[in-house]
Amino acid sequence: MANVTHVRPAPVKRAGAGRFTRQERLAYTMLVPILGSIFLIVTYPFVLAVIQSLQATNGAAFVGLQNYVTGLENPLLYEALGATGIYAALVLPTEILLGLGLALAVHRAIKSTALRALFFGMAIVPLVIPPIAVGVIARLMYAPSYGVINHILMLTGVTHDEINWLGQPITAMPAVASVDVWQWTPFVYLVLFSGFLTVPRDEIEAAQVDGASGWAQFWRIELYYLRPLLVLIVFFRLADVLRVFDHVFILTGGGPGNTTQLLSLYLYRVEFKFSDYGQAAALAVVVLIAISVVYSLVTRVLPLERK
Amino acid sequence: MRTRGRSWRAVLIIPLLAVILVVYAFPIYWLIVTSLKSRGQLFQATLSLLPEAPTLQPYADVLIDRGMWILLRNSIVVCSATVVLALTIGLLITYPITRLDVSPRVRAGVLNWALSLRFLPPIAVVVPYFAVVRTVGLYDQPLALIFIYSLFNLPFTIWMLKGFLTEIPREIEEAALSDGASRWTAFRHILLPLATPGLLAAGVIVFSFSWSEFLFALILTSSPNAQTFPVGVQGLVTQFEIIWNDMAAAGTIAMLLPLVLMVLARRHVVTGLTFGVVREK
Repeated sequence: MANVTHVRPAPVKRAGAGRFTRQERLAYTMLVPILGSIFLIVTYPFVLAVIQSLQATNGAAFVGLQNYVTGLENPLLYEALGATGIYAALVLPTEILLGLGLALAVHRAIKSTALRALFFGMAIVPLVIPPIAVGVIARLMYAPSYGVINHILMLTGVTHDEINWLGQPITAMPAVASVDVWQWTPFVYLVLFSGFLTVPRDEIEAAQVDGASGWAQFWRIELYYLRPLLVLIVFFRLADVLRVFDHVFILTGGGPGNTTQLLSLYLYRVEFKFSDYGQAAALAVVVLIAISVVYSLVTRVLPLERK
Repeated sequence: MRTRGRSWRAVLIIPLLAVILVVYAFPIYWLIVTSLKSRGQLFQATLSLLPEAPTLQPYADVLIDRGMWILLRNSIVVCSATVVLALTIGLLITYPITRLDVSPRVRAGVLNWALSLRFLPPIAVVVPYFAVVRTVGLYDQPLALIFIYSLFNLPFTIWMLKGFLTEIPREIEEAALSDGASRWTAFRHILLPLATPGLLAAGVIVFSFSWSEFLFALILTSSPNAQTFPVGVQGLVTQFEIIWNDMAAAGTIAMLLPLVLMVLARRHVVTGLTFGVVREK
Protein backbone atom coordinates (compact mmCIF):
# COMPACT_ATOMS: atom_id res chain seq x y z
CA MET A 1 0.00 0.00 0.00
CA ALA A 2 2.72 2.36 0.95
CA ASN A 3 4.34 2.03 -2.42
CA VAL A 4 1.42 3.03 -4.51
CA THR A 5 2.65 6.56 -4.97
CA HIS A 6 5.53 5.30 -7.07
CA VAL A 7 3.09 3.68 -9.40
CA ARG A 8 0.65 6.44 -10.14
CA PRO A 9 2.06 7.91 -13.34
CA ALA A 10 0.50 11.28 -12.66
CA PRO A 11 2.59 13.19 -15.23
CA VAL A 12 0.64 11.59 -18.09
CA LYS A 13 -2.06 14.16 -18.15
CA ARG A 14 -0.01 17.15 -17.14
CA ALA A 15 2.89 16.65 -19.50
CA GLY A 16 0.81 16.31 -22.63
CA ALA A 17 0.99 13.55 -25.18
CA GLY A 18 4.18 14.70 -26.81
CA ARG A 19 6.49 13.29 -24.19
CA PHE A 20 5.30 9.71 -24.55
CA THR A 21 5.68 7.21 -27.32
CA ARG A 22 2.59 5.44 -28.65
CA GLN A 23 3.49 2.37 -26.67
CA GLU A 24 3.84 4.31 -23.46
CA ARG A 25 0.53 6.00 -24.02
CA LEU A 26 -1.15 2.63 -24.56
CA ALA A 27 0.57 1.27 -21.48
CA TYR A 28 -0.63 4.11 -19.30
CA THR A 29 -4.17 4.00 -20.70
CA MET A 30 -4.27 0.43 -19.46
CA LEU A 31 -2.42 0.92 -16.19
CA VAL A 32 -3.80 4.19 -14.85
CA PRO A 33 -7.51 3.28 -14.62
CA ILE A 34 -6.92 -0.20 -13.27
CA LEU A 35 -4.23 0.71 -10.76
CA GLY A 36 -6.18 3.82 -9.83
CA SER A 37 -9.27 1.79 -8.99
CA ILE A 38 -7.28 -0.76 -7.04
CA PHE A 39 -5.58 2.05 -5.21
CA LEU A 40 -8.98 3.47 -4.25
CA ILE A 41 -10.34 0.05 -3.27
CA VAL A 42 -7.36 -0.50 -1.00
CA THR A 43 -7.16 3.01 0.40
CA TYR A 44 -10.81 3.86 0.93
CA PRO A 45 -11.37 1.24 3.65
CA PHE A 46 -8.21 2.44 5.33
CA VAL A 47 -9.51 6.00 5.40
CA LEU A 48 -12.80 4.64 6.66
CA ALA A 49 -10.99 2.74 9.41
CA VAL A 50 -9.23 5.92 10.47
CA ILE A 51 -12.57 7.75 10.65
CA GLN A 52 -14.20 4.85 12.50
CA SER A 53 -11.34 4.75 14.95
CA LEU A 54 -11.91 8.38 15.90
CA GLN A 55 -15.61 7.88 16.55
CA ALA A 56 -17.52 6.32 19.39
CA THR A 57 -18.71 2.78 18.72
CA ASN A 58 -22.34 3.69 19.20
CA GLY A 59 -23.19 6.81 17.31
CA ALA A 60 -20.80 8.97 15.37
CA ALA A 61 -19.58 11.21 18.17
CA PHE A 62 -16.00 12.29 17.68
CA VAL A 63 -13.94 10.90 20.55
CA GLY A 64 -10.43 11.78 19.42
CA LEU A 65 -7.83 9.19 20.31
CA GLN A 66 -9.99 7.56 22.97
CA ASN A 67 -10.30 4.30 21.01
CA TYR A 68 -6.55 4.14 20.55
CA VAL A 69 -6.00 4.65 24.25
CA THR A 70 -8.53 1.94 25.17
CA GLY A 71 -7.12 -0.39 22.56
CA LEU A 72 -3.51 0.07 23.53
CA GLU A 73 -4.21 -0.02 27.25
CA ASN A 74 -6.03 -3.32 27.05
CA PRO A 75 -3.79 -6.04 28.54
CA LEU A 76 -5.48 -8.57 26.23
CA LEU A 77 -3.70 -6.91 23.29
CA TYR A 78 -0.32 -7.65 24.86
CA GLU A 79 -1.38 -11.17 25.69
CA ALA A 80 -2.29 -11.59 22.02
CA LEU A 81 1.03 -10.12 20.90
CA GLY A 82 2.78 -12.43 23.34
CA ALA A 83 0.88 -15.45 22.03
CA THR A 84 1.76 -14.47 18.46
CA GLY A 85 5.38 -14.15 19.51
CA ILE A 86 5.39 -17.57 21.17
CA TYR A 87 3.69 -19.06 18.14
CA ALA A 88 6.28 -17.54 15.81
CA ALA A 89 9.10 -18.63 18.10
CA LEU A 90 7.81 -22.20 18.10
CA VAL A 91 6.95 -22.40 14.44
CA LEU A 92 9.67 -20.52 12.54
CA PRO A 93 12.83 -22.21 13.88
CA THR A 94 11.21 -25.64 13.83
CA GLU A 95 10.06 -25.29 10.25
CA ILE A 96 13.35 -23.87 9.06
CA LEU A 97 15.53 -26.46 10.82
CA LEU A 98 13.35 -29.40 9.80
CA GLY A 99 12.99 -28.12 6.25
CA LEU A 100 16.70 -27.43 5.94
CA GLY A 101 17.61 -30.82 7.40
CA LEU A 102 15.23 -32.58 5.09
CA ALA A 103 16.45 -30.68 2.04
CA LEU A 104 20.05 -31.47 2.95
CA ALA A 105 19.26 -35.13 3.56
CA VAL A 106 17.38 -35.57 0.31
CA HIS A 107 19.96 -33.61 -1.64
CA ARG A 108 22.85 -35.69 -0.30
CA ALA A 109 21.26 -39.09 0.07
CA ILE A 110 18.76 -39.41 -2.71
CA LYS A 111 20.11 -39.27 -6.22
CA SER A 112 17.35 -41.05 -8.08
CA THR A 113 15.18 -38.66 -10.05
CA ALA A 114 12.07 -40.71 -9.41
CA LEU A 115 12.50 -40.63 -5.63
CA ARG A 116 13.21 -36.91 -5.72
CA ALA A 117 10.07 -36.40 -7.77
CA LEU A 118 8.18 -38.45 -5.18
CA PHE A 119 9.42 -36.17 -2.39
CA PHE A 120 8.47 -33.14 -4.47
CA GLY A 121 4.99 -34.50 -5.02
CA MET A 122 4.50 -35.39 -1.37
CA ALA A 123 5.71 -31.99 -0.22
CA ILE A 124 3.15 -30.21 -2.38
CA VAL A 125 0.23 -32.03 -0.76
CA PRO A 126 0.11 -30.33 2.67
CA LEU A 127 0.64 -26.93 1.04
CA VAL A 128 -2.57 -27.11 -0.94
CA ILE A 129 -4.87 -28.56 1.69
CA PRO A 130 -7.13 -25.76 2.95
CA PRO A 131 -6.16 -24.75 6.50
CA ILE A 132 -9.72 -25.55 7.53
CA ALA A 133 -9.30 -29.15 6.38
CA VAL A 134 -5.92 -29.28 8.11
CA GLY A 135 -7.76 -28.15 11.23
CA VAL A 136 -10.21 -31.03 10.80
CA ILE A 137 -7.32 -33.47 10.46
CA ALA A 138 -5.71 -32.02 13.58
CA ARG A 139 -8.98 -32.42 15.45
CA LEU A 140 -9.01 -36.10 14.56
CA MET A 141 -5.48 -36.37 15.91
CA TYR A 142 -5.75 -34.33 19.12
CA ALA A 143 -9.37 -34.37 20.18
CA PRO A 144 -10.29 -35.92 23.51
CA SER A 145 -12.25 -39.20 23.29
CA TYR A 146 -11.63 -39.64 19.58
CA GLY A 147 -8.07 -38.40 19.05
CA VAL A 148 -5.63 -40.89 17.59
CA ILE A 149 -2.62 -39.53 19.44
CA ASN A 150 -4.16 -40.22 22.85
CA HIS A 151 -5.21 -43.63 21.68
CA ILE A 152 -1.68 -44.54 20.60
CA LEU A 153 -0.16 -43.13 23.79
CA MET A 154 -2.53 -45.16 25.92
CA LEU A 155 -2.05 -48.27 23.82
CA THR A 156 1.70 -48.10 24.19
CA GLY A 157 1.39 -47.34 27.88
CA VAL A 158 3.03 -43.92 27.78
CA THR A 159 0.07 -42.49 29.61
CA HIS A 160 -2.99 -43.94 31.26
CA ASP A 161 -5.22 -40.92 31.19
CA GLU A 162 -6.41 -39.00 28.21
CA ILE A 163 -4.40 -35.86 27.60
CA ASN A 164 -6.64 -32.94 26.76
CA TRP A 165 -4.23 -31.51 24.19
CA LEU A 166 -6.34 -28.61 23.06
CA GLY A 167 -7.89 -27.90 26.44
CA GLN A 168 -4.93 -27.21 28.70
CA PRO A 169 -2.78 -24.11 28.51
CA ILE A 170 0.56 -25.96 28.41
CA THR A 171 -0.26 -28.25 25.52
CA ALA A 172 -2.68 -26.11 23.51
CA MET A 173 -0.07 -23.80 22.03
CA PRO A 174 2.36 -26.56 20.98
CA ALA A 175 -0.56 -28.53 19.54
CA VAL A 176 -1.73 -25.56 17.50
CA ALA A 177 1.83 -24.77 16.44
CA SER A 178 2.44 -28.38 15.41
CA VAL A 179 -0.31 -28.00 12.84
CA ASP A 180 1.51 -25.04 11.32
CA VAL A 181 4.76 -27.00 11.29
CA TRP A 182 2.99 -29.92 9.61
CA GLN A 183 1.59 -27.74 6.88
CA TRP A 184 4.52 -25.43 6.18
CA THR A 185 7.72 -27.42 6.72
CA PRO A 186 7.27 -28.85 3.21
CA PHE A 187 7.29 -25.30 1.84
CA VAL A 188 10.65 -24.63 3.49
CA TYR A 189 11.88 -27.96 2.18
CA LEU A 190 10.81 -27.21 -1.40
CA VAL A 191 12.38 -23.77 -1.45
CA LEU A 192 15.65 -24.90 0.11
CA PHE A 193 15.90 -28.06 -1.95
CA SER A 194 15.65 -26.04 -5.13
CA GLY A 195 18.28 -23.79 -3.54
CA PHE A 196 20.68 -26.71 -3.15
CA LEU A 197 20.32 -27.36 -6.87
CA THR A 198 21.55 -23.86 -7.70
CA VAL A 199 24.87 -24.28 -5.87
CA PRO A 200 27.55 -24.31 -8.58
CA ARG A 201 28.92 -27.81 -9.12
CA ASP A 202 32.51 -26.72 -9.66
CA GLU A 203 32.69 -25.07 -6.25
CA ILE A 204 31.57 -28.28 -4.57
CA GLU A 205 33.99 -30.32 -6.66
CA ALA A 206 36.86 -27.97 -5.90
CA ALA A 207 36.09 -28.31 -2.20
CA GLN A 208 35.98 -32.08 -2.49
CA VAL A 209 39.35 -32.12 -4.23
CA ASP A 210 40.69 -30.08 -1.33
CA GLY A 211 39.35 -32.80 0.93
CA ALA A 212 36.55 -30.81 2.58
CA SER A 213 34.15 -32.94 4.58
CA GLY A 214 30.47 -33.02 3.70
CA TRP A 215 29.84 -30.90 6.74
CA ALA A 216 32.33 -28.24 5.65
CA GLN A 217 30.75 -28.21 2.20
CA PHE A 218 27.45 -27.41 3.80
CA TRP A 219 28.65 -24.70 6.18
CA ARG A 220 31.17 -23.03 3.85
CA ILE A 221 29.52 -23.27 0.45
CA GLU A 222 25.92 -24.41 0.33
CA LEU A 223 24.68 -22.32 3.24
CA TYR A 224 26.14 -19.26 1.52
CA TYR A 225 23.99 -19.89 -1.55
CA LEU A 226 20.92 -20.67 0.56
CA ARG A 227 21.13 -17.43 2.54
CA PRO A 228 18.90 -15.30 0.29
CA LEU A 229 16.31 -18.07 0.26
CA LEU A 230 16.39 -18.31 4.03
CA VAL A 231 15.73 -14.57 4.21
CA LEU A 232 12.82 -15.03 1.83
CA ILE A 233 11.40 -17.89 3.87
CA VAL A 234 11.58 -15.91 7.10
CA PHE A 235 9.70 -13.00 5.55
CA PHE A 236 7.02 -15.06 3.90
CA ARG A 237 6.50 -17.17 6.99
CA LEU A 238 6.40 -14.09 9.24
CA ALA A 239 3.77 -12.53 7.00
CA ASP A 240 1.83 -15.78 7.26
CA VAL A 241 2.15 -16.07 11.03
CA LEU A 242 0.46 -12.66 11.28
CA ARG A 243 -2.45 -14.00 9.26
CA VAL A 244 -2.83 -17.35 11.00
CA PHE A 245 -6.46 -17.67 11.87
CA ASP A 246 -8.28 -20.63 10.35
CA HIS A 247 -6.85 -23.67 12.06
CA VAL A 248 -6.51 -21.99 15.45
CA PHE A 249 -10.06 -20.74 15.18
CA ILE A 250 -11.48 -24.22 14.74
CA LEU A 251 -9.06 -26.02 17.05
CA THR A 252 -9.11 -23.85 20.18
CA GLY A 253 -10.90 -20.64 19.24
CA GLY A 254 -8.11 -18.83 21.09
CA GLY A 255 -8.48 -20.78 24.32
CA PRO A 256 -8.02 -22.25 26.81
CA GLY A 257 -8.18 -18.88 28.50
CA ASN A 258 -6.36 -16.68 26.00
CA THR A 259 -3.33 -18.89 25.55
CA THR A 260 -3.72 -19.38 21.80
CA GLN A 261 -5.41 -16.07 21.08
CA LEU A 262 -3.10 -14.82 18.35
CA LEU A 263 -3.28 -11.24 17.12
CA SER A 264 -5.67 -12.08 14.29
CA LEU A 265 -8.02 -13.93 16.62
CA TYR A 266 -7.90 -11.08 19.10
CA LEU A 267 -8.83 -8.50 16.45
CA TYR A 268 -11.64 -10.77 15.35
CA ARG A 269 -12.88 -10.97 18.91
CA VAL A 270 -12.80 -7.23 19.51
CA GLU A 271 -14.74 -6.55 16.33
CA PHE A 272 -17.21 -9.39 16.17
CA LYS A 273 -17.59 -10.69 19.72
CA PHE A 274 -17.27 -7.50 21.73
CA SER A 275 -18.65 -5.50 18.79
CA ASP A 276 -16.34 -2.68 19.77
CA TYR A 277 -15.98 -1.28 16.24
CA GLY A 278 -14.17 1.84 17.34
CA GLN A 279 -11.48 -0.06 19.20
CA ALA A 280 -11.24 -2.67 16.43
CA ALA A 281 -10.73 0.07 13.84
CA ALA A 282 -8.09 1.73 16.00
CA LEU A 283 -6.23 -1.56 16.36
CA ALA A 284 -6.53 -2.22 12.62
CA VAL A 285 -5.02 1.18 11.89
CA VAL A 286 -2.16 0.55 14.31
CA VAL A 287 -1.49 -2.89 12.82
CA LEU A 288 -1.58 -1.54 9.25
CA ILE A 289 0.83 1.26 10.06
CA ALA A 290 3.16 -1.07 11.95
CA ILE A 291 3.16 -3.53 9.06
CA SER A 292 3.79 -0.80 6.46
CA VAL A 293 6.77 0.46 8.45
CA VAL A 294 8.22 -3.01 8.97
CA TYR A 295 7.54 -3.86 5.36
CA SER A 296 9.27 -0.82 3.93
CA LEU A 297 12.25 -1.52 6.17
CA VAL A 298 12.70 -5.17 5.28
CA THR A 299 11.54 -5.30 1.68
CA ARG A 300 14.88 -4.14 0.27
CA VAL A 301 16.54 -7.31 1.50
CA LEU A 302 14.13 -9.62 -0.33
CA PRO A 303 15.94 -11.40 -3.16
CA LEU A 304 13.19 -10.84 -5.71
CA GLU A 305 13.95 -9.79 -9.26
CA ARG A 306 11.92 -6.71 -9.96
CA LYS A 307 12.76 -6.12 -13.59
CA MET B 1 34.21 -41.94 0.52
CA ARG B 2 31.92 -43.35 -2.13
CA THR B 3 31.17 -46.63 -0.36
CA ARG B 4 30.81 -45.01 3.01
CA GLY B 5 28.40 -42.57 1.44
CA ARG B 6 26.25 -45.32 0.06
CA SER B 7 25.60 -47.20 3.28
CA TRP B 8 25.05 -43.91 5.04
CA ARG B 9 22.41 -43.15 2.46
CA ALA B 10 20.45 -46.34 2.97
CA VAL B 11 20.52 -45.86 6.73
CA LEU B 12 19.11 -42.39 6.27
CA ILE B 13 16.52 -42.87 3.55
CA ILE B 14 14.50 -45.65 5.11
CA PRO B 15 13.75 -44.05 8.49
CA LEU B 16 13.23 -40.74 6.74
CA LEU B 17 10.61 -42.19 4.44
CA ALA B 18 9.02 -44.04 7.33
CA VAL B 19 8.73 -40.92 9.48
CA ILE B 20 7.31 -38.88 6.63
CA LEU B 21 4.86 -41.61 5.84
CA VAL B 22 3.64 -41.76 9.43
CA VAL B 23 3.55 -38.02 9.96
CA TYR B 24 1.99 -37.06 6.63
CA ALA B 25 0.26 -40.01 5.06
CA PHE B 26 -1.37 -41.30 8.21
CA PRO B 27 -3.35 -38.17 9.22
CA ILE B 28 -4.67 -37.77 5.69
CA TYR B 29 -5.47 -41.47 5.53
CA TRP B 30 -7.20 -41.24 8.89
CA LEU B 31 -9.34 -38.35 7.70
CA ILE B 32 -10.52 -40.36 4.71
CA VAL B 33 -11.07 -43.56 6.72
CA THR B 34 -13.10 -41.70 9.32
CA SER B 35 -15.21 -40.18 6.57
CA LEU B 36 -16.10 -43.70 5.38
CA LYS B 37 -17.31 -44.96 8.74
CA SER B 38 -20.89 -45.33 9.75
CA ARG B 39 -22.05 -43.58 12.88
CA GLY B 40 -22.15 -46.88 14.76
CA GLN B 41 -18.50 -47.59 14.08
CA LEU B 42 -17.32 -44.27 15.47
CA PHE B 43 -17.30 -45.18 19.11
CA GLN B 44 -16.02 -48.69 19.03
CA ALA B 45 -13.55 -49.36 21.78
CA THR B 46 -10.74 -50.15 19.37
CA LEU B 47 -9.75 -47.82 16.60
CA SER B 48 -9.72 -49.85 13.44
CA LEU B 49 -7.25 -48.88 10.78
CA LEU B 50 -9.61 -49.98 8.07
CA PRO B 51 -13.28 -49.11 7.95
CA GLU B 52 -15.10 -52.40 8.43
CA ALA B 53 -17.98 -51.64 6.16
CA PRO B 54 -17.02 -48.49 4.26
CA THR B 55 -20.01 -46.33 3.55
CA LEU B 56 -20.57 -43.10 1.67
CA GLN B 57 -23.41 -42.23 4.03
CA PRO B 58 -21.48 -39.40 5.76
CA TYR B 59 -21.02 -37.71 2.39
CA ALA B 60 -24.73 -37.93 1.70
CA ASP B 61 -25.44 -36.64 5.22
CA VAL B 62 -23.14 -33.68 4.80
CA LEU B 63 -24.02 -32.69 1.26
CA ILE B 64 -27.74 -33.43 1.19
CA ASP B 65 -29.16 -33.65 4.71
CA ARG B 66 -27.11 -30.74 5.98
CA GLY B 67 -27.53 -28.98 2.65
CA MET B 68 -23.84 -28.30 2.21
CA TRP B 69 -24.05 -28.91 -1.53
CA ILE B 70 -25.29 -25.33 -1.74
CA LEU B 71 -22.11 -24.13 -0.04
CA LEU B 72 -20.11 -26.30 -2.42
CA ARG B 73 -21.89 -24.65 -5.33
CA ASN B 74 -21.24 -21.19 -3.83
CA SER B 75 -17.56 -22.04 -3.48
CA ILE B 76 -17.30 -23.16 -7.09
CA VAL B 77 -19.12 -20.05 -8.35
CA VAL B 78 -17.06 -17.67 -6.22
CA CYS B 79 -13.74 -19.31 -7.06
CA SER B 80 -14.42 -19.53 -10.82
CA ALA B 81 -15.48 -15.90 -10.97
CA THR B 82 -12.42 -14.94 -8.94
CA VAL B 83 -10.16 -16.76 -11.38
CA VAL B 84 -11.66 -14.89 -14.33
CA LEU B 85 -11.52 -11.51 -12.62
CA ALA B 86 -8.04 -11.93 -11.13
CA LEU B 87 -6.56 -13.13 -14.42
CA THR B 88 -8.22 -10.35 -16.40
CA ILE B 89 -6.95 -7.65 -14.05
CA GLY B 90 -3.61 -9.43 -13.84
CA LEU B 91 -3.26 -9.38 -17.63
CA LEU B 92 -4.31 -5.74 -17.83
CA ILE B 93 -1.50 -4.91 -15.44
CA THR B 94 1.21 -7.29 -16.63
CA TYR B 95 0.69 -6.82 -20.37
CA PRO B 96 1.80 -3.18 -20.35
CA ILE B 97 4.72 -3.77 -18.02
CA THR B 98 6.09 -6.74 -19.94
CA ARG B 99 5.12 -6.14 -23.58
CA LEU B 100 5.22 -2.37 -23.92
CA ASP B 101 8.09 0.05 -23.42
CA VAL B 102 7.40 1.51 -20.02
CA SER B 103 10.09 2.97 -17.87
CA PRO B 104 11.73 0.41 -15.58
CA ARG B 105 10.70 2.54 -12.63
CA VAL B 106 7.02 2.10 -13.41
CA ARG B 107 7.54 -1.63 -13.84
CA ALA B 108 9.40 -1.96 -10.55
CA GLY B 109 6.83 0.25 -8.84
CA VAL B 110 3.94 -1.95 -9.94
CA LEU B 111 5.71 -5.14 -8.88
CA ASN B 112 6.78 -3.72 -5.52
CA TRP B 113 3.32 -2.50 -4.82
CA ALA B 114 1.84 -5.90 -5.67
CA LEU B 115 4.35 -7.47 -3.32
CA SER B 116 3.44 -5.10 -0.51
CA LEU B 117 -0.20 -6.24 -0.81
CA ARG B 118 1.00 -9.77 -0.09
CA PHE B 119 2.10 -8.68 3.37
CA LEU B 120 -1.22 -7.13 4.24
CA PRO B 121 -2.79 -9.28 6.96
CA PRO B 122 -6.45 -9.82 6.03
CA ILE B 123 -7.61 -9.43 9.62
CA ALA B 124 -6.44 -5.81 9.66
CA VAL B 125 -8.56 -4.94 6.63
CA VAL B 126 -11.49 -7.10 7.64
CA VAL B 127 -12.77 -4.42 10.00
CA PRO B 128 -13.08 -1.64 7.40
CA TYR B 129 -14.13 -4.05 4.62
CA PHE B 130 -16.92 -5.34 6.81
CA ALA B 131 -18.22 -1.79 7.11
CA VAL B 132 -17.83 -1.05 3.39
CA VAL B 133 -19.47 -4.28 2.30
CA ARG B 134 -22.44 -3.62 4.54
CA THR B 135 -22.80 -0.02 3.37
CA VAL B 136 -22.84 -0.92 -0.32
CA GLY B 137 -25.30 -3.77 0.26
CA LEU B 138 -22.98 -6.62 -0.61
CA TYR B 139 -23.13 -8.30 2.79
CA ASP B 140 -23.94 -12.00 2.41
CA GLN B 141 -23.52 -11.72 -1.37
CA PRO B 142 -21.07 -13.88 -3.35
CA LEU B 143 -20.01 -10.74 -5.24
CA ALA B 144 -18.32 -9.31 -2.14
CA LEU B 145 -16.17 -12.41 -1.82
CA ILE B 146 -15.35 -12.42 -5.53
CA PHE B 147 -14.05 -8.84 -5.37
CA ILE B 148 -12.04 -9.37 -2.23
CA TYR B 149 -10.57 -12.70 -3.33
CA SER B 150 -9.55 -11.17 -6.65
CA LEU B 151 -7.84 -8.34 -4.83
CA PHE B 152 -5.97 -10.63 -2.47
CA ASN B 153 -4.94 -12.99 -5.25
CA LEU B 154 -3.65 -10.15 -7.42
CA PRO B 155 -0.13 -9.95 -5.94
CA PHE B 156 1.02 -13.35 -6.96
CA THR B 157 -1.18 -13.40 -10.09
CA ILE B 158 0.78 -10.36 -11.22
CA TRP B 159 4.12 -11.91 -10.32
CA MET B 160 3.31 -15.24 -11.94
CA LEU B 161 1.93 -13.71 -15.14
CA LYS B 162 4.92 -11.38 -15.31
CA GLY B 163 7.15 -14.46 -15.17
CA PHE B 164 5.25 -16.27 -17.89
CA LEU B 165 4.92 -13.25 -20.18
CA THR B 166 8.59 -12.32 -19.96
CA GLU B 167 9.49 -15.79 -21.15
CA ILE B 168 7.62 -15.28 -24.42
CA PRO B 169 9.96 -13.39 -26.77
CA ARG B 170 8.62 -10.00 -27.83
CA GLU B 171 9.97 -10.55 -31.35
CA ILE B 172 7.15 -13.01 -32.11
CA GLU B 173 4.53 -10.34 -31.51
CA GLU B 174 6.54 -7.62 -33.17
CA ALA B 175 6.81 -9.66 -36.35
CA ALA B 176 3.02 -9.75 -36.54
CA LEU B 177 2.78 -6.04 -35.74
CA SER B 178 5.14 -5.10 -38.52
CA ASP B 179 3.01 -7.20 -40.87
CA GLY B 180 0.20 -4.79 -40.10
CA ALA B 181 -1.67 -6.64 -37.38
CA SER B 182 -3.25 -4.50 -34.68
CA ARG B 183 -2.05 -4.82 -31.09
CA TRP B 184 -5.31 -6.50 -30.18
CA THR B 185 -4.97 -9.05 -32.98
CA ALA B 186 -1.38 -9.73 -32.01
CA PHE B 187 -2.45 -10.18 -28.40
CA ARG B 188 -5.46 -12.30 -29.20
CA HIS B 189 -3.91 -14.59 -31.82
CA ILE B 190 -0.27 -14.73 -30.89
CA LEU B 191 0.40 -13.85 -27.26
CA LEU B 192 -2.73 -15.35 -25.71
CA PRO B 193 -2.27 -18.86 -27.15
CA LEU B 194 1.37 -18.84 -26.08
CA ALA B 195 0.47 -17.62 -22.60
CA THR B 196 -2.36 -20.11 -22.11
CA PRO B 197 -0.37 -22.70 -20.13
CA GLY B 198 0.80 -19.96 -17.77
CA LEU B 199 -2.71 -18.55 -17.44
CA LEU B 200 -4.06 -22.00 -16.67
CA ALA B 201 -1.43 -22.59 -14.01
CA ALA B 202 -2.11 -19.21 -12.42
CA GLY B 203 -5.84 -19.87 -12.66
CA VAL B 204 -5.55 -23.21 -10.91
CA ILE B 205 -3.60 -21.66 -8.07
CA VAL B 206 -5.96 -18.70 -7.71
CA PHE B 207 -8.83 -21.18 -7.64
CA SER B 208 -7.38 -23.26 -4.84
CA PHE B 209 -6.30 -20.27 -2.77
CA SER B 210 -9.80 -18.84 -3.01
CA TRP B 211 -11.20 -22.28 -2.27
CA SER B 212 -9.20 -22.37 0.98
CA GLU B 213 -10.10 -18.87 2.11
CA PHE B 214 -12.02 -18.82 5.35
CA LEU B 215 -11.75 -15.54 7.26
CA PHE B 216 -13.52 -13.24 4.78
CA ALA B 217 -16.11 -15.90 4.03
CA LEU B 218 -16.82 -16.27 7.74
CA ILE B 219 -17.23 -12.56 8.30
CA LEU B 220 -18.91 -11.38 5.13
CA THR B 221 -21.56 -14.07 4.82
CA SER B 222 -24.32 -15.22 7.12
CA SER B 223 -26.52 -17.62 5.17
CA PRO B 224 -26.32 -20.34 2.51
CA ASN B 225 -26.91 -17.54 0.04
CA ALA B 226 -23.19 -16.81 -0.01
CA GLN B 227 -21.48 -19.03 2.57
CA THR B 228 -18.63 -21.03 1.12
CA PHE B 229 -17.69 -24.61 1.88
CA PRO B 230 -14.99 -23.87 4.51
CA VAL B 231 -17.58 -21.95 6.54
CA GLY B 232 -19.74 -25.06 6.52
CA VAL B 233 -16.81 -27.23 7.57
CA GLN B 234 -16.16 -24.86 10.45
CA GLY B 235 -19.78 -25.23 11.52
CA LEU B 236 -19.32 -28.99 11.82
CA VAL B 237 -16.15 -28.63 13.88
CA THR B 238 -17.21 -26.00 16.37
CA GLN B 239 -20.66 -27.34 17.16
CA PHE B 240 -21.24 -28.73 20.64
CA GLU B 241 -21.22 -32.40 19.81
CA ILE B 242 -18.96 -33.24 16.90
CA ILE B 243 -20.20 -35.91 14.53
CA TRP B 244 -16.78 -37.19 13.58
CA ASN B 245 -17.59 -38.99 10.36
CA ASP B 246 -19.59 -36.06 8.98
CA MET B 247 -16.83 -33.66 9.92
CA ALA B 248 -14.26 -35.90 8.24
CA ALA B 249 -16.39 -36.20 5.12
CA ALA B 250 -16.67 -32.43 4.87
CA GLY B 251 -12.93 -32.09 5.47
CA THR B 252 -12.22 -34.63 2.76
CA ILE B 253 -14.38 -32.79 0.24
CA ALA B 254 -12.65 -29.51 1.11
CA MET B 255 -9.27 -31.17 0.66
CA LEU B 256 -9.88 -33.15 -2.51
CA LEU B 257 -10.56 -30.43 -5.03
CA PRO B 258 -7.33 -28.46 -4.53
CA LEU B 259 -5.40 -31.73 -4.44
CA VAL B 260 -6.77 -32.77 -7.80
CA LEU B 261 -6.16 -29.33 -9.26
CA MET B 262 -2.62 -29.23 -7.94
CA VAL B 263 -1.74 -32.41 -9.72
CA LEU B 264 -2.23 -30.32 -12.85
CA ALA B 265 -0.25 -27.31 -11.72
CA ARG B 266 2.26 -28.84 -9.29
CA ARG B 267 5.24 -27.38 -11.15
CA HIS B 268 3.93 -23.90 -10.48
CA VAL B 269 2.77 -24.12 -6.88
CA VAL B 270 6.12 -23.24 -5.37
CA THR B 271 6.76 -20.61 -8.03
CA GLY B 272 3.48 -18.99 -7.12
CA LEU B 273 4.03 -19.20 -3.38
CA THR B 274 7.48 -17.62 -3.63
CA PHE B 275 6.63 -14.97 -6.20
CA GLY B 276 8.73 -16.60 -8.86
CA VAL B 277 11.95 -16.82 -6.87
CA VAL B 278 11.87 -20.59 -6.93
CA ARG B 279 11.33 -22.19 -10.28
CA GLU B 280 10.72 -25.87 -10.79
CA LYS B 281 11.87 -27.10 -14.14
